[in-house]
Amino acid sequence: MISASSSSASSSRKKKMKQAESKWRTAAQERIYRRRLLEALRATASGAGPRAVKEAADSALALTARGQSQWSRAILLGRCRPRRKLLLKAGGKVRRGRRRPRPAAPVPVAAAAPAPAGKKVRDRLRVLGRLVPGCRQLSAPNLLEEAADYVAALEMQVKAMRALADALSAASLNAAAAGEAESNVV
Amino acid sequence: MEKEGFWGLQWQSSGAKLPPELNSGSAASDQLPQCFLNLNWKQPMAHDADFESALSSLVSSPCSNPPASADGNGIGELIGRLGGICNSNDISPSSRYRSADASCYSTLLNSPPKLNLSVMDHRQQGRGGPPMPVNRVPGPHIGPFSAEPGFEDGAARLSCFAGRSSGSFAGQFGFLEPGNLSQASRSQSPKGGFGSCVGVGQSRSERPAHLEMEMRSKIGGSSTPEATELGNGPEESSLSDRMTADASTLRAITDNNSGKWKTAAKRKGREAPLSSSATNPPANMTEEENSDAKRCKPADRNGGAKNAAVKPKTEQNGDPAHREGKDNDHKPPESPKDYIHVRARRGQATDAHSLAERVRREKISKRMKFLQDLVPGCNKVTGKAVMLDEIINYVQSLQRQVEFLSMKLATLNPQMDVSMENLLPKDMYQSRGLMPQPVYPAEIGTVLSYAHQPQTVALQSIVTSSLEAQFSLNSLQSSLQQSQSMQHATTDAYTDAPSQLGGLWEDDLQSVAQTGFGQNHEPT
Repeated sequence: MISASSSSASSSRKKKMKQAESKWRTAAQERIYRRRLLEALRATASGAGPRAVKEAADSALALTARGQSQWSRAILLGRCRPRRKLLLKAGGKVRRGRRRPRPAAPVPVAAAAPAPAGKKVRDRLRVLGRLVPGCRQLSAPNLLEEAADYVAALEMQVKAMRALADALSAASLNAAAAGEAESNVV
Repeated sequence: MEKEGFWGLQWQSSGAKLPPELNSGSAASDQLPQCFLNLNWKQPMAHDADFESALSSLVSSPCSNPPASADGNGIGELIGRLGGICNSNDISPSSRYRSADASCYSTLLNSPPKLNLSVMDHRQQGRGGPPMPVNRVPGPHIGPFSAEPGFEDGAARLSCFAGRSSGSFAGQFGFLEPGNLSQASRSQSPKGGFGSCVGVGQSRSERPAHLEMEMRSKIGGSSTPEATELGNGPEESSLSDRMTADASTLRAITDNNSGKWKTAAKRKGREAPLSSSATNPPANMTEEENSDAKRCKPADRNGGAKNAAVKPKTEQNGDPAHREGKDNDHKPPESPKDYIHVRARRGQATDAHSLAERVRREKISKRMKFLQDLVPGCNKVTGKAVMLDEIINYVQSLQRQVEFLSMKLATLNPQMDVSMENLLPKDMYQSRGLMPQPVYPAEIGTVLSYAHQPQTVALQSIVTSSLEAQFSLNSLQSSLQQSQSMQHATTDAYTDAPSQLGGLWEDDLQSVAQTGFGQNHEPT
């Protein structure tokens, strides 16, 4: 009998994987995120620029993830250093010294998978690692899992932001129209 | 685990008043339903081994019940007791019932073949008592249904409980002649939930012996994943799916188990989940995993982890796992439980390296498949490289969209405060007809973003409250309760996520995020 030394935690990861999609797709999560997004947007100084808005949106997204995924912890950590302890307590998997300048040279992903290791596959995995925040040095299966979570989260973010933008623009249009009507009446 | 915590809190919040002994009585069990069961056996039980001893003690205890078939009453009272302990506070008949019949669950193990208890007799005997407390046992999910007294509902709930518990607690409870129950309850089942339970109960009508084994194993195993399932805001359909899967599993097991409990169980048990896992929600698989793993533990037969090894493969190939099942029979038992054991398939290398590689490769390919479902348009693509290409493109496009939308929102930002004030009086008509979607702040307040039918009262109250500095969870929760379009699953998920475990976490995180938003002050 041969045993692979994966702990039984991998079964929980499987569960997590299956639930990742459903977790992000629920209306409840979307509601939570919209609430946070609105709060975040209000908190940003007006006229701060699109980058601040994007950061706010990403932070709200990471918040909604509750620090359970690698990318969310990376985003939140990136924003704010002194709170690292909090996130450590919550996520428990944050590695110290992530802010150290990483070697720019293409470091092979940890525990490189020989099977998916065609050269192309490895390159693409690296690119994917760069795309997902905080997942550069992740092994292939973890990276794929984080990517799945991240994709689902991004989809929700886009949906929410689009709805917000539409609502705001429509509201402003109405306001403008109402203003005009009033001025016409007057 | 968080999910267990969720589940436990849900128990409390849903108003099901578990006796305080529940937590103290369970020695080392970590799952709520497990401890609940342990309690009922009158002994704190840490593991299934203890459970067996408790069972045997119960067997030996004399049954003092007069009525018709002692078997039927024994088991029925068992259930009644189970539920009674659960709902001691709520239902008076339960106490009456419990006092009437002290402890006569003797026949549980004595006569497994005689599982055709006439629950009818038992039911007639203890009118509203046994069935009603029973309903609490399955958990908060059935909680709302417990409010109605009456024999019919009790019977329906009993069948539901039987149906559910045969998946969770024991085949033994399922045996409760669900056939009989379902007959009675079919005519009376008031709610859809009961209907599903009844349907499941019907599926279990034939149940041979050896359910004691099932009970021992299943109680520990399936109750756990069921707890987590409940904690995740279950829906009845998914539960019934799971239960049917369990039914098929158990039936397959018991059908083939006439003497070869050891081997046949594993093989058939694995085959059943194989067939059913394809059709059932993925959460089912973990349940099977746990149940299979637990089934091996108390029995102390082949290493329980052997089954766990097969589980990673169950959803992929039916045949190789089947073959693995056969191989399993010949392998020696014993293995540390926290390892995933891999069987060499036919015609494949068996050295350690290749097996480990294969496990990793399968993990990776599983994740890739998951990603494939996530990313649209990836179905036609084959090959890891091209698929990864698609995924990368998709992620990049999503990120670009986020940037673009953030630019748009930045231009709209100064108008946000102004729009808020204007939105208040106008949201009512706006959300009705003018706007394609309900107004955004109203969306936040109510849950009706998908319903397109906001209720004005809720809207007003919510919008006014939402315009304040902070959204209060209470208002949101009240809106949640008011809105009809939301399933309780999402409600549960919503109340779970922010309010229960993550209260402190949320506040801290929010402060973290706010500091990142460029504000100068740091709220603590």
